[in-house]
Amino acid sequence: MAIVAGIDIGNATTETALARIEGRDVTFLATGISATTGIKGTLQNVRGLRLSLGMALERAGFKGDDYRAIDLIRLNRAAPVIGDVAMETVTETIVTESTMIGHNPSTPGGIGVGVGVTIPFSGLARASEGDSVVPVIDAKHDYETAAAEISAAMARGVNVTAAICQSDDGVLIANRMSRVIPIVDEVSAIERVPLGMRCCVEVAPPGRVISLLSNPYDIASLFELSPEETKQIVPVARALVGNRSAVVIRTPMGEVRERRIPAGELYIIGPQGKRTVNVEDGAEAIQKTVIDCYPVENIFGQPGTNVGGMMERVRRTMSDLTDIPIGDIYIQDLLAVDTLVPQKVVGGVAGEFSLESGVALAVMVKTEELPMQRLAKAVAEELGVKVEVGGIEADMAIRGALTTPGTKPPIAILDLGAGSSDASFMKTDGTVTLTHLAGAGNMVNTIIGSELGIDSMELAEAIKRYPLCKVESAFHIRQEDGTVRFFDKPLDPAVFGRVALLHENDMLQPLMIPNISVERVRMTRRKAKQEVFVKNALRALEQVAPGNNVRLVDYVVLVGGSAKDFEIPTMVTDMLSRYGIVAGRGNIRSTEGPRNAVATGLVLSSTGVAQ
Amino acid sequence: MQINPELLEKIVAEVLAELESADGPKSAAVATAAPEKVAGVVLVEKGAAARGTDPKEIVLAISPAFGTTFKTTIIGLPLASVLRQVFAGAEEEGIHIRVIRVYHTADVAFMAHYAARISGSGIGIGILSRGTSVIHQRDLAPLSNLELFPQSPVIDLPTFRAIGKNAAKYAKGESPTPVPTNNDPMARPRYQGLAALLHNKEASFQDRSKAPQELSVSFE
Repeated sequence: MAIVAGIDIGNATTETALARIEGRDVTFLATGISATTGIKGTLQNVRGLRLSLGMALERAGFKGDDYRAIDLIRLNRAAPVIGDVAMETVTETIVTESTMIGHNPSTPGGIGVGVGVTIPFSGLARASEGDSVVPVIDAKHDYETAAAEISAAMARGVNVTAAICQSDDGVLIANRMSRVIPIVDEVSAIERVPLGMRCCVEVAPPGRVISLLSNPYDIASLFELSPEETKQIVPVARALVGNRSAVVIRTPMGEVRERRIPAGELYIIGPQGKRTVNVEDGAEAIQKTVIDCYPVENIFGQPGTNVGGMMERVRRTMSDLTDIPIGDIYIQDLLAVDTLVPQKVVGGVAGEFSLESGVALAVMVKTEELPMQRLAKAVAEELGVKVEVGGIEADMAIRGALTTPGTKPPIAILDLGAGSSDASFMKTDGTVTLTHLAGAGNMVNTIIGSELGIDSMELAEAIKRYPLCKVESAFHIRQEDGTVRFFDKPLDPAVFGRVALLHENDMLQPLMIPNISVERVRMTRRKAKQEVFVKNALRALEQVAPGNNVRLVDYVVLVGGSAKDFEIPTMVTDMLSRYGIVAGRGNIRSTEGPRNAVATGLVLSSTGVAQ
Repeated sequence: MQINPELLEKIVAEVLAELESADGPKSAAVATAAPEKVAGVVLVEKGAAARGTDPKEIVLAISPAFGTTFKTTIIGLPLASVLRQVFAGAEEEGIHIRVIRVYHTADVAFMAHYAARISGSGIGIGILSRGTSVIHQRDLAPLSNLELFPQSPVIDLPTFRAIGKNAAKYAKGESPTPVPTNNDPMARPRYQGLAALLHNKEASFQDRSKAPQELSVSFE
């Protein structure tokens, strides 16, 4: 009789399975789970391992630090994997000499289109009869004064066609005037609005978007532009699409352009040699190159660029942690996803934001198993227990996954974790093929964070993990699927009227992001998961499936932390069903759900039972 | 309905006279002020405040001596400007404000909660003469709130504008970012004594038996 602990050190969690083994009989006693300390496969992991193991021991009725009760610890042969994720913004919008004010105040005043010459507010009194003018009102002037003077000027016969103001006064001024003119407000840097220039202001009715200033030919008609000039105005029109209000001012030198930021090139080395792809070409081009180079041997970034910096950072971190020379560290996979990043428009006058395209990159490094032996030795010394390094992670995972009721080889498993997505395929004869791919839960967090402009990774993680709702009154919420739920007790006033995350136990976490809607967060979250997990599931299966043909796989079991997500398994199941594959979330030993697969596999493989 | 201001004045004066006899000489200041005139704003009582049904309204409750005995907040902002800014904030969002004067309490939480309960949108604001303010919602407990501005010395006119704007946004079912407020660690030592005195003075105008009154507000 022997007590064996299988311990799986993952990127995010360290999981333990504790079992008693008698001959070929395995009785599972307890499981433990704890956050992984440090980067997987390094000596820092010991602390998390103690916690996880202690938890399992206590649950099994031992003392939490009674390591002598254990006869053998089996660790996964996890090559340390760094999944570094980075965002590269590849475009930016630059406004020179402010020709456009494309921001979207929530409450512009009036409705319609007005064309005239911009004048300072103080110059309104001097404007002569018949002039078409657009007064530019700074925050020093009160809305009553502004409305009174504009009305007075109109009464004199001055054709005031529109107004631009600095404070949030648009509706207030419009309400105090007899004739409706469009007013764009909240233009923060109003002193930068060029004066004495021809300008057009458009405000659409509530719920609509501007139609004139987002159309290059309409701008051309308004400002009598030549075909060449019209071509130059296209970025302006593009930047204004979807706004409720906008101002375009024609200045002699001004222009708006979209600049592509040189993000750098990636050099991907495969069996056929080196291929080069430019990051600004987008995710699709990068991914295609990665596939062309399969199996990837190494990836470098262009020195002196952001992407080059990212690749070197990954190598250096890995080298520092494992004492392997930097030259021996190979980046063996890369996942690129296109994203949109809200960026402040350079040179804008109203703090405008424009959605720029970006590329999120996740890379994965695999090193030798040397560090794992080192870790095993450290654990053995610290705990005084015999430690051995078991089989390869994906191999162990498949053994663990096979304890799910209703499964048998040939079978494929997808281990969706935080740092990497792993896949393995077991044939009927027990031989296993496997792959480790970059991009998993952490990458989803990065994409959610950058698209919604969130700095905190904890918040991004929470958005990934929990469904959304809108708190409509103190007693009811509307969930993201449209259903309404009532509460007996009033909700916390901090969540009133807000978009919130619905945690377990009905706890609501309000999202304090300005102008956020349930739809936008939901779309961002689902898109990020689709792009990372669904894409990776297919990519991974293609690599392990017999003949690289996904259709030859019949059963897929999803395991790992991300398989516990409330929508990722259904997304993957849905996509795989198109290939005629039965896919679903695993249920390890019919009790553990999708977790603990590797740890269970480690215990089982020590007896040869699973063979 | 045509409102005869003279008649109104007379009624208000009568009501206040009655109050005076019941309440002692303290409310003499109130009795003489009908219509009450604050620098730049005229507040006329229109009778007991009724429950509203208009979803486009929020109700603003002002304290018993707001604009009558008290003309400025604790830091000297004219109360007329305070009202004007709160009105402007709500109007910019397309929401209209109904003003009531509360007599039965000088506690800003209960004032705002009363306002919220009779507000068509369910959103109410309470403002004390010294500037302390609360945005409230009718389903909440009185001592809970949506946004609280407890430090009267740091509330300036842009903050009052933002209070009106945010209250209006709550009424529209939007989720506004809470109004950013300043914090001044010296506000407490500098103003606490004064605030206590102002509260005592304001509380002396309380009349527990008098129902909240609807006010018409016109700026000059």
